[in-house]
Amino acid sequence: MNKGLVIVILAMVCAAGTAQADTILSSKHNLSVSGPGTVIAAQETEVCVFCHTAHNASPAAPLWNRASPGQAYLPYSSSTAKASPGQPTGSSLLCLSCHDGTIALGQVLNRATEITMAGGVTFMPPGDGLIGTDLRNDHPISFAYTSALAALNGELVDPGVLRPQIRLDANGELQCTSCHDAHDDRYGHFLVWPNTRSQLCVECHRKNGWDLSPHNLSTAGWNQQAPDPWPRSEETTVMDNACGNCHLPHSAVGGPRLLTHAAEEQVCSACHNGHVASQDVMAEFSKFSSHPIFDTTLAHDPAEPAAVDDRHVECADCHEPHAATAGADPVQGVLKGARGIDLAGAEVDPIRNGYEVCFRCHADTASNLSNSAPRQHSQFNTRLEFQPGNPSFHPVAAAGRNPDVPSLISPLTTASTIACTDCHNSDASSVAGGTGPDGPHGSAFEPILARQYVTLDNNPESASAYALCYGCHSRSSILADQSFKKHNEHVVKKKAPCNVCHDPHGVSATQGTSQNNTHLINFDISVVQPNNKGLRRFVDKGRFTGSCDLLCHGENHDNKSY
Amino acid sequence: MRSEITTSRLAIVLQSAATALLFAVAPMSMAGTIAGSDHDFSGINPDGQICVNCHTPHNADTSVATAPLWNHDVTSATFTLYSSPTMNAIPGQPSGSSKLCLSCHDGTVAVDSFGGRTGSVFIQPTDSHYIGTDLSNDHPISITYDSALATADPGLNDPAVTTVTIGQGGDKTNTGTVSELMLPADQVQCSSCHDVHNNFVPPGAKDLLRVTVANSQLCFTCHNK
Repeated sequence: MNKGLVIVILAMVCAAGTAQADTILSSKHNLSVSGPGTVIAAQETEVCVFCHTAHNASPAAPLWNRASPGQAYLPYSSSTAKASPGQPTGSSLLCLSCHDGTIALGQVLNRATEITMAGGVTFMPPGDGLIGTDLRNDHPISFAYTSALAALNGELVDPGVLRPQIRLDANGELQCTSCHDAHDDRYGHFLVWPNTRSQLCVECHRKNGWDLSPHNLSTAGWNQQAPDPWPRSEETTVMDNACGNCHLPHSAVGGPRLLTHAAEEQVCSACHNGHVASQDVMAEFSKFSSHPIFDTTLAHDPAEPAAVDDRHVECADCHEPHAATAGADPVQGVLKGARGIDLAGAEVDPIRNGYEVCFRCHADTASNLSNSAPRQHSQFNTRLEFQPGNPSFHPVAAAGRNPDVPSLISPLTTASTIACTDCHNSDASSVAGGTGPDGPHGSAFEPILARQYVTLDNNPESASAYALCYGCHSRSSILADQSFKKHNEHVVKKKAPCNVCHDPHGVSATQGTSQNNTHLINFDISVVQPNNKGLRRFVDKGRFTGSCDLLCHGENHDNKSY
Repeated sequence: MRSEITTSRLAIVLQSAATALLFAVAPMSMAGTIAGSDHDFSGINPDGQICVNCHTPHNADTSVATAPLWNHDVTSATFTLYSSPTMNAIPGQPSGSSKLCLSCHDGTVAVDSFGGRTGSVFIQPTDSHYIGTDLSNDHPISITYDSALATADPGLNDPAVTTVTIGQGGDKTNTGTVSELMLPADQVQCSSCHDVHNNFVPPGAKDLLRVTVANSQLCFTCHNK
């Protein structure tokens, strides 16, 4: 009989447990002594009392039982946010009456004495639940989410078609309650909709290119080598973390973009260190020559002009992480969705050619770099060096002008075009014959060159010394003098590097001429001096013929022809 | 064999605990009568009558339809109603028995204004029992709460099928559906939660509540949160 009674009692207990599933009772918002969380009352058994009272409530709706916090919040703002949230309003203030940490959890209106919490807790303890009064690192709230806002932003869903679970308040404002239901924790974090794969985020946020982005689609997981790329997430793949790979909706660490790390490159390196993504891109930035992403923090601003005057480089200056893909063509791949400067110097968004990303910094702006060698025609503006109207240029923006380039290695022809990254790339890249990460992140060879390119004078010729050039221009052809008849003499016998006579980018039409500056001729004036007549020039005299007036390696060239 | 002994002992422990709990609560409870309760007015009536402030056996006021042999002046106040953007129900001016309760608790009519007398004992705004004429910060009353409302608002239980026990543990107790026991004419009224006569009040309950607020049981009777 006793055994039967036990079974009955256990059955009742089990039934009660089942009935409590998905109710506030089984959630952390049950602050009563029976609550399942760690923040609970010492003795109080009432559940609703921490927020609600049947009489004399304030604010009246929803029968609120707590004092209203002050108006001393620091609201969210960002240079790209089209909304301008002010002080929290409406139901968000109700949430903040616990979660800002300024009002004791047990301080309720209908009790003369504060409800005592267990474990000596008075205010919201540190952790995910403590939002604080600084809302700059939290998703914005208390702003009107209107159709006009969505249209202005361009990457927000019209509020009229939001899923019914995602509710704006009576004033059309987005509040804590748009994402959270304080009474229902079935999806975790009291979310109104499950957020695996950022399903909740994308209900509002429709980032261009996101549908095809590996950040949205990759099933890659963490190789368990510290540090944990997702320390505040329950999800275990890139795909399932989605927005959460980089962003945190609350208490974000990095800047106004709600990023997971203070230094934005750390956001990327969390995965792109070889622990999630297969390639360790981050190691590239520690090589001898690299894009200096570590030198600045939060210097990149997506609202900055495409032409970067404020000299800096961050991952996001070249990559649009919402749109980038693994496509073979960088423009539709790693650079997809990036902004740039086109050949004419105009902003383009998104880019249509890879070099347009490079022109953000290496063209018209004050932030461009000096040439590595002092030249007859000094040109800091790379965009001008590659103009198809120039007397000569490497065929980046258009096929080259010279119809006679016998050194070109198949499949290259004089009709071919190349990319900046055919020269500027990692020494471990596929361009260099390696298996490391592609892209001009860093290299042992300056300036971020895929292969060695010696520029110092009096350098013994070898396959490796000018490996960069020989990657496209056959060493045997060059040394056999198939084009310029004195290549061998200059490069091998006189040990002159390619760079002394050739300016690898090109010579701008505003400086050079089609008589003197074809074949990328633009002398390094630290090596090539004027001759005894004061002349320092090359003269193009047609196919494989020309003359030079100059002084080099002690040799006076006076209209020296070939 | 061994396990049978163990389970028997467990049963005894559970039974003992339940008994101890009952005795721990029991001394706090009053007998389930109006005498000695907050609504025992014998102390303010010279003749020591208890019921007369509200009721008379003869010549009662019938202006309020459901008023039972009513003897107290009825409030004529216009009330500010509760509203909320997320509430599906639509409150009207207090009706039914709620209007009778408010005839003292709104503070506009004296507790001793009954039987044609004009009294002078008002419930003061500083009193925790004062409701006033502003009901905007009070749980809505005089609202229809039926199955249709529960369908429209999933945060509410269906009152027609949800059962409740009122006065549990006291000397008067009753079990039935929420509609039967708490909702006169399908309306939420003061009497849904409060028992004016202190009859169906669980031992230890405050404010003449008909279901214990321990674990917010009263709230969860209707609210499915």
